[in-house]
Amino acid sequence: MIEIAKLAVAEALKHGAQYAEARLVRLVRQDLVLKNGALDGAESTEEFGCGVRVLVDGCWGFQAMPLWADHGPAEQNARALGRRAPVVAKALASACTKRVELAPEPPQQGSYSTPLVEDPFAVKLSEKLELLRGCDAALQGRAETVVREASLSARAEEKWFASSEGAEQHQKLVRVGAGLSSTAAANGTVERRSYPASFGGNYKAGGFEHVRAWKLAEAGPRVRDEAVELCSAPLCPPGRRDLLLMGSQLALQIHESVGHPSEIDRVFGHELDLAGSSFATADKLGNFRYGSAIVNLEADSTLPGGLDTRGWDDEGVASGKWRIVDQGVLKGYLTSREWAARIGEARSRGSARAEGWANFPIVRITNLSLLPGTWELDALIADTQDGVLCDTVKTWSIDQHRLNFQFTTEIGWEIKNGVKGRMLRRPTYQGRTPEFWASCDAICNASHFEVWGVPNCGKGNPMQVAEMSHGAAPARFRGMTFL
Amino acid sequence: MPLLERKDSVTIARGIISKSKATETEVVIDSAIDRFVRYAEHGPTQDADRGHALVRVRVRNKTPEGYREATASCGSLEPAAYKAALERAQELALVAPPNPRLAPLGGAVMVPMVLRDRATIDQTFEAKARWIKLATEACAKHGLFPAGLAQTTGISRAIVNSCGREVLSYQTRAAFSLTATGKNGEGWAEAIARTIGALPIEATVQRAIDKALAAQDPEPIEPGEYTVVLEPAAVASLLLFTGYEGFGAREYEEQTSFLCGRLGQQVFPPSVTIHDDYRHPAWASLPFDGEGTARTQVVLVENGVPKRVVTDRNHAAHSGGESTGHALLQPSSHGPMPQNLVLLPGKQSRAELVAGVERGLLVTQLHYVNLMDPRELLLTGITRNGTYRIENGKLGRAVRNLRFTDSLVRTLGTLSGISNEQVVCGALFDGECVVPALRLSLRFTSTTEF
Repeated sequence: MIEIAKLAVAEALKHGAQYAEARLVRLVRQDLVLKNGALDGAESTEEFGCGVRVLVDGCWGFQAMPLWADHGPAEQNARALGRRAPVVAKALASACTKRVELAPEPPQQGSYSTPLVEDPFAVKLSEKLELLRGCDAALQGRAETVVREASLSARAEEKWFASSEGAEQHQKLVRVGAGLSSTAAANGTVERRSYPASFGGNYKAGGFEHVRAWKLAEAGPRVRDEAVELCSAPLCPPGRRDLLLMGSQLALQIHESVGHPSEIDRVFGHELDLAGSSFATADKLGNFRYGSAIVNLEADSTLPGGLDTRGWDDEGVASGKWRIVDQGVLKGYLTSREWAARIGEARSRGSARAEGWANFPIVRITNLSLLPGTWELDALIADTQDGVLCDTVKTWSIDQHRLNFQFTTEIGWEIKNGVKGRMLRRPTYQGRTPEFWASCDAICNASHFEVWGVPNCGKGNPMQVAEMSHGAAPARFRGMTFL
Repeated sequence: MPLLERKDSVTIARGIISKSKATETEVVIDSAIDRFVRYAEHGPTQDADRGHALVRVRVRNKTPEGYREATASCGSLEPAAYKAALERAQELALVAPPNPRLAPLGGAVMVPMVLRDRATIDQTFEAKARWIKLATEACAKHGLFPAGLAQTTGISRAIVNSCGREVLSYQTRAAFSLTATGKNGEGWAEAIARTIGALPIEATVQRAIDKALAAQDPEPIEPGEYTVVLEPAAVASLLLFTGYEGFGAREYEEQTSFLCGRLGQQVFPPSVTIHDDYRHPAWASLPFDGEGTARTQVVLVENGVPKRVVTDRNHAAHSGGESTGHALLQPSSHGPMPQNLVLLPGKQSRAELVAGVERGLLVTQLHYVNLMDPRELLLTGITRNGTYRIENGKLGRAVRNLRFTDSLVRTLGTLSGISNEQVVCGALFDGECVVPALRLSLRFTSTTEF
């Protein structure tokens, strides 16, 4: 396949490109959803195609199409893409007033595969369905339950990348996801509980071993009962009190209030047409207090189990690890080859990615984690006088600069005088990003640290979907405003 | 890669069905051509000229306990690829648990084909570059930073099944947007239409610039309840949630819909009438749904009274009626959904809506709206791209953006004016609808510093 990618690159150079890259991508997915005991979705998908991106006189051109034989032999199609991509760039030249310059990158050759124990595609369908049926059985037993849902997902993405600078890379990325949820209706309200996370569960890079480790069915009765109890639980009262966030909700907080604001294209206004910009402007690099001194947020595209753990990004830049926030201070951004120089960096951090084969690579959040602290969770609760322990994402909203946010979790528990007490419905807290992170005064230790996957991050216009993970241990935020 | 012609799609689909061992088989074949350019201060920043095809095979085996159903798809029209997809679907269906709720596939229907607009699909990148130059040069004159999108898309969809159903149609869409940003405030405008000829490019550019210039140096503002005039884009961000979370038969059955206990009641003022109308001239929607059933125009709310939910074949069979033609591609864990919402216009101009406000706000757009409680359609989101004071019926200074947290059911209940416009608008999440501007009361719970 790499030879086909090289053919496309060579053809593009022949037709006027000064830089060219070709990405062949084969995607295989299997998704199973059991809803109220019946199979609500059983789907197996396969795609294979190629995207060719070129620079002609500093202007981008991109062409993509499927590479199956029905559209002509793959070699012939790859050449056609290589011929046509410069045509797009030349057609747009009249509107380009500044040349795109790429940060230098030594071309790398090699291959990478997601480490895994048990190939999720080799596990028998009957076994997967049995696992889902076990989840469904565990969710049964309460008259108030109106929806029981369990799901499994496996994805394999194989890609071949070649560039006119000599990069030649082959990667095979494997990801799995699974979860269950229960929705109850009673007392004129509807409430949902999920495990291990909402919106399909948790997702990790790796094999079926992750699915087995989540022990979904064991959580079923608790999830079912909590959904029912929530329907008669009091609404979380408004006011200011301490907020204790469990890992999956903290992962969303990292994603929305640190991940997106540190995407360098947002910082320079290139996402203003849809997603918005960033308050974390380049003049703040190295001097802006993003959070308290115990807040360390690390980007890491080598994180074990991370959904964006791979050998290289979609510009052929090697994966790595760096701080976005170090001891509370803004220290870095997520960059691509086009953007690195704008913040004085000699090389890209390797954060450019494209969805599948048909999309133009854009700057994306990679795996980004809040590094663990020193606390045990029990000690943290015991140390809290007036607070709410919040768990599992329910809904979220954040402004176009990534400052003003408002998040609601599936469940909360009141903490009074160091004791976790009554269950609270629909806890909703709002805040402003730097004040939120500045109020972080305790983070649990590494034994509580978990990696949470985001399989559906939307960005771009037209929107592209990308995957990444956020590691987090529960943490405390002082004096937050509850709605 | 050109869009597929009817004969090609139907021949492929029939070939797959002839090889299927299942009791019933359905084949959906999509093809798409998408050409877009994103732009910013120096012109194009991203672009793509791309084609795509997807073959989706749904098989089901009848058992006394119900159908065993599964789906497989491939991004290819190659016989070996779709044969493999058929085999994967059959393999999955063998082990799928029977689903007693599934209705048989639908039979033959007559659905007129919507034609493609070739001028839109074939629009050149040179033409898109001219639009972009217009926007970037106009912004430069005013010291504004531009960001936007120029896009043309064509798709074809064919649905053929083993029970005699055979439908195909085309859809064409053109869009152009500009966000113009100054030192201390932003403006935005967007045009969406069936054809490039219907896009008012110059007017869209001018509108975004006017909005941006008026949005500079916004004043601080306190949160609280305000009378607001929501421009159509802001209305769309709210109304789309009734489609995602309320007007579908599944949400109603699962008791998560805001319509539970409200059907047939006077929930909204009599001026509120909401249709789902695929035939509205503003868009060229596919005339059939995800099961190949002919779409119908449905009156969802009439004179403020919610009338019904939309259905697909399974939900219709369950409730004893006919499908309204609102299935998503099957199987779908979401259930039926209205995808062509139209909020009927009123008689006042937008200026008249503003003139009727003693003290309030004009809101251009709402950003990142999300759902907190489905039964009350409790939503939160933030104003964007121009929020302005209205005092004594006149537009005043821009104010800083505010976050609202309010129930759509409650706020529509305070409606005091509907404009005479019908504008196609989308939102950050999926979907588009046709809406006027509205005047109502909205609760803001926090503010920003910009």
